[in-house]
Amino acid sequence: MKQCFTLLLLTLFIYSARAEERIIVLNEGMWQADNGRLTYFENGSVVSNQWFRDKNGRKLGDTPNDIIQVNDDLIAIAINWSNIVQFITPSGYAVAAIEDIPNNRRLCSDGKFVYVTSYGHECATIYGMRYFTRGFVAKIDLSNYRVVATCEVGYEPEGIALYDGRLFVANTGGYAEQEGDHDYETTVSIVNAATMTVEKVIDTHIPNLFGEMSQSGRYLCINSPGDYYETEACGLIFDCEQALTSSDCFVRFNYPATYSCTTIDGNFLVVGSNFSYLTGQYEFSYLTINPMQMMKSRGASGLTRALPGSIGTDFAAMSQPYGIYVNPYTGYIYGTDAGSFEGAGYLYQWSPVGQLLGKHKVYINPGHFLAVAPAGYYVGIGEVASRKTADGKWYDLHGRATDRTPLQRGNIYIKDGRKTLFTK
Amino acid sequence: MVKQDSNIPFRAYRARTGQVISMYKKNYYLQAILATVLAFAVTANASAQNPHKEKRKAKSEVQDSIRQLYEVTVTSHRQPRTIATSQTLSGTDLQALSTTSVADALKYFAGVQIKDYGGLGGLKTVNVRSLGAQHVGVYVDGIRLTNAQNGTVDLGKFSLSSMESVSLYNANKLDYCQSASEYASGATVYLQTRRPTSDSVFVQLRNASFHTWMVKANAQFNWRGWQGFIDGEYCTSRGDYPFRYHSEYEDTVGRRANSDIRYGRVEAALFRGGFSSHIYYYDSERGCPGGIVRRLSDKYTNVGREWDRDFFVQASYQARFLEKNSIKINAKYANEYLRYNTKYPENQNTPRVDNHYRQQDAYAAFCYAAMPWPWLTLSTSYDIRYSFLSADLKRFEDVKRLDQKQVFAAQVNWKGIQAAASVLHQHYSDDTFVNAGAADPLDRWTPAASLAYTLAGVTLRGWYKQIFRAPTLNDLYYTQSGNRNLKPEYTKQFNIGLEYHYQGPETMGSRQGWAVDVQADVYWNKVENRIVCLPMKGTYTWSMMNYGQTFCRGLNATLKGHLRTGQWYFSLLNSITWQRDVDRTDPEDEDMYDKPICYAPSFSTGVTAIASWRSLQFTTSYLYVGQRMWSKADPEDILDPYHNIDMKLQYNTTAGQLYHLFSGKSQPRLLTQTSLGLCLEVCDVLDIQYEHIPRYPMPGRNYKLTLSIGI
Repeated sequence: MKQCFTLLLLTLFIYSARAEERIIVLNEGMWQADNGRLTYFENGSVVSNQWFRDKNGRKLGDTPNDIIQVNDDLIAIAINWSNIVQFITPSGYAVAAIEDIPNNRRLCSDGKFVYVTSYGHECATIYGMRYFTRGFVAKIDLSNYRVVATCEVGYEPEGIALYDGRLFVANTGGYAEQEGDHDYETTVSIVNAATMTVEKVIDTHIPNLFGEMSQSGRYLCINSPGDYYETEACGLIFDCEQALTSSDCFVRFNYPATYSCTTIDGNFLVVGSNFSYLTGQYEFSYLTINPMQMMKSRGASGLTRALPGSIGTDFAAMSQPYGIYVNPYTGYIYGTDAGSFEGAGYLYQWSPVGQLLGKHKVYINPGHFLAVAPAGYYVGIGEVASRKTADGKWYDLHGRATDRTPLQRGNIYIKDGRKTLFTK
Repeated sequence: MVKQDSNIPFRAYRARTGQVISMYKKNYYLQAILATVLAFAVTANASAQNPHKEKRKAKSEVQDSIRQLYEVTVTSHRQPRTIATSQTLSGTDLQALSTTSVADALKYFAGVQIKDYGGLGGLKTVNVRSLGAQHVGVYVDGIRLTNAQNGTVDLGKFSLSSMESVSLYNANKLDYCQSASEYASGATVYLQTRRPTSDSVFVQLRNASFHTWMVKANAQFNWRGWQGFIDGEYCTSRGDYPFRYHSEYEDTVGRRANSDIRYGRVEAALFRGGFSSHIYYYDSERGCPGGIVRRLSDKYTNVGREWDRDFFVQASYQARFLEKNSIKINAKYANEYLRYNTKYPENQNTPRVDNHYRQQDAYAAFCYAAMPWPWLTLSTSYDIRYSFLSADLKRFEDVKRLDQKQVFAAQVNWKGIQAAASVLHQHYSDDTFVNAGAADPLDRWTPAASLAYTLAGVTLRGWYKQIFRAPTLNDLYYTQSGNRNLKPEYTKQFNIGLEYHYQGPETMGSRQGWAVDVQADVYWNKVENRIVCLPMKGTYTWSMMNYGQTFCRGLNATLKGHLRTGQWYFSLLNSITWQRDVDRTDPEDEDMYDKPICYAPSFSTGVTAIASWRSLQFTTSYLYVGQRMWSKADPEDILDPYHNIDMKLQYNTTAGQLYHLFSGKSQPRLLTQTSLGLCLEVCDVLDIQYEHIPRYPMPGRNYKLTLSIGI
């Protein structure tokens, strides 16, 4: 009887643990086929591969490129070829959509504003049109879904992350091969998020800082695919805190960080792919990086050529790896295989220790992920910011209580209604 | 209701990185067609050359004109050699179709799939028996049209009005004296230029839907054994056709933007006996619209524009000597220019480029055939082609290609047995400093064999052909996609067919009688090492790769019937295609292996019915294309089947006849020599919204009104 009771409890525990797994997968679809789609995955199975359409009765758009959680009740999606930034609720319902930022690429948010990088050269703002020679970052005010400020950065800016009131923007210069009037960019622009002015530009001397950029507190994991010819691909660990005071703020490692994500304990999981048109060959690498250790040792340590459990071997068996992600609430790990490009891709799910739990058919080019917070997880940024009573709890800038995820050194949190830098 | 629109350049700049992934353009155009009245004009003027006819009464002159029209039809109708699987549209049947380009005429053939990006300027490629567009060779008067860059031919640039016939041959045509190039493609399309039989001049004016205007002029002569013509055409069209996407989750309406085109074409030909020559120039500017995707407004249309200038001159001479020997010499020079520009403020989604591509091509062929005995023909040919490609792309340098081919062929025709066998040798060598240098030379032999037996008018035939397409210069060297390690893409075709001709009692000149042609072929083909552009694993880059095998089984059948009685003429053309084209790449890939290939319908059929009475002609064409997948990711990713009905009504007369009708007076001679034609066409009569490529809508119902005047 006692054993049965224990088994029941265990089953309930497992069930409740799995019930917290709610993942939205962003399928890019095929370019110009208007078939970007959302997959909603819950409790170990795909609920829908056309979630946006189910909820809203219309299509998402063409070639979505990024999805982020903005605050407790808002998710933003950058739909690149449709020129749309789409806002939905965590339940999937469309809230607003704007097309003021053409050729939008990546998103980040502090809960009140959404910052968007763009390869385009113009932007509609509340002050009229703004024009740029290079690329730019736009700031969307969530009180009215309008662009309230812009800031010109490098050519074709891609990854964007927020740290200590600054936006860290990785510039690519990705159109260099076609346009001919500029080369690949090698810089990270540091933009003051409040004033939307460039404070500083860090030149890494590494070209084309393109692709997924992951953040772990003060550290960024940046990819450089090289120029696909003579210059080889590589990766960077970038220290935002140090970048504010010094240009010596990054460490290069000899593997590309094509796909990366941040684990609950602050490490980066990296899948890299190195390709050259000269040889027509490419090779894969699978890394786990402890950014703090890597920065401290100047690259001598902190990099392990392995991923947890069977993840590395599972990735190696894929037709076309297309993304990796860790659920920040539970630590479950996800990866995608874009398959044959023409057919459906697959979503892989691993336990936090890297045990393969399942493989699920999704849609074409599943490239981006967002974990939906378990029920009751969000307190709400408004309430957190105005809370006067001292409950001693730490909340992140999105209004998420941090009692179930470890605090990361160097991140800004809200405690007792005030923004506080976590330095321990 | 959401109004959407977009215009995206053809040349696929990747959304993710803006890298070029697809080959050089394509476009095709509204070409002048219609010369329904041409035959009339030709014949009307023919009478002016004959002093005896001039003396005839006006009524009989008109009657002569009508009679001459039939004669043109009869002379252009060739008996196909039944050993080859072929389909031909010629003479009246060809001119009666409502077509704007050669591609439009080909869609009525069995086994042909058209990919059309819509509109007058939209890319139109022809795929035969699922081999792929680059396995279709197109020949004007036996000389191949080439494109060194991407290997596909812009059929829209050729006018049907100067053509006597359009033929499709699966595998080889099997003439007795053929160039090696004619053996070198999986399927061949022959465009046969019309040789004028009289002197005439005519002008044609057309107004069509979507702000389209066209003017065309033709002058031709037949003098002391020399025949020739000069044909010019100018067309401008806004191409702003409406479209609608309507489903349970979408209701998008809009007008196509950036789909305009302007082009001019001038060509001339000169013939005498075994000598033929052709000179051609084409100049166009067009917008390159993209897929209709979700947009909140028309603010960003991703404008790309393209300019083309094509020129070629070619000549051919064929002669017999010593009774049993034939020679043929072909020569050609082609020069093509393309500019592609995306530097427009409405375009925020792609790199801003202004690129120029130039290619030149020089070609010569020497063919010899001998007939040692009446039942045996032996032939050989040596072809040499030199191509030069330059472009102002980054990391791109001039590329030169030397392409040599030899063929050895034998044909036997003995007591109802026809047999043919050939071996083709091809050698390609490139010269360039692009990236890692030129690809290794390619040197291959490929065979083909055919066998047929005819008994009581029924022919049973079978053939096998193996051929490859060499990687094009784009495939090998294009910046950020070229792969110099590509292998050739092989096709193997096997075909068994039956053909039956019945010629009813008909005597030339009586214009009475009937004829029926029936043929049916079953086929199997395999394509190996397909050359495709694939995203590289996890690198955000694309590259040309050899990837995949396909296997296709199918049935093509055609039925043709003609009936001529009194002043009536009826014609019925029917084609049916059934096929199953499946992926055979990776047996372990459950989602793909043995599943149908995208864009390949399993069933399609076309029916064209022509009825004419005296100089009034009515044509109805019906085309049905079955459901196709466009991706294998979701059963919902299908292109719906569609029906397409076109109608064409034309009336030809002379100015004299009209004068007589209205004034009651006898016709002045000048007016009796002036032919007039009026033609109304309604395309997509049912206004069915359909597409060949997802999100590239085709125009719905549209009209064309054409007026022709000739002397």
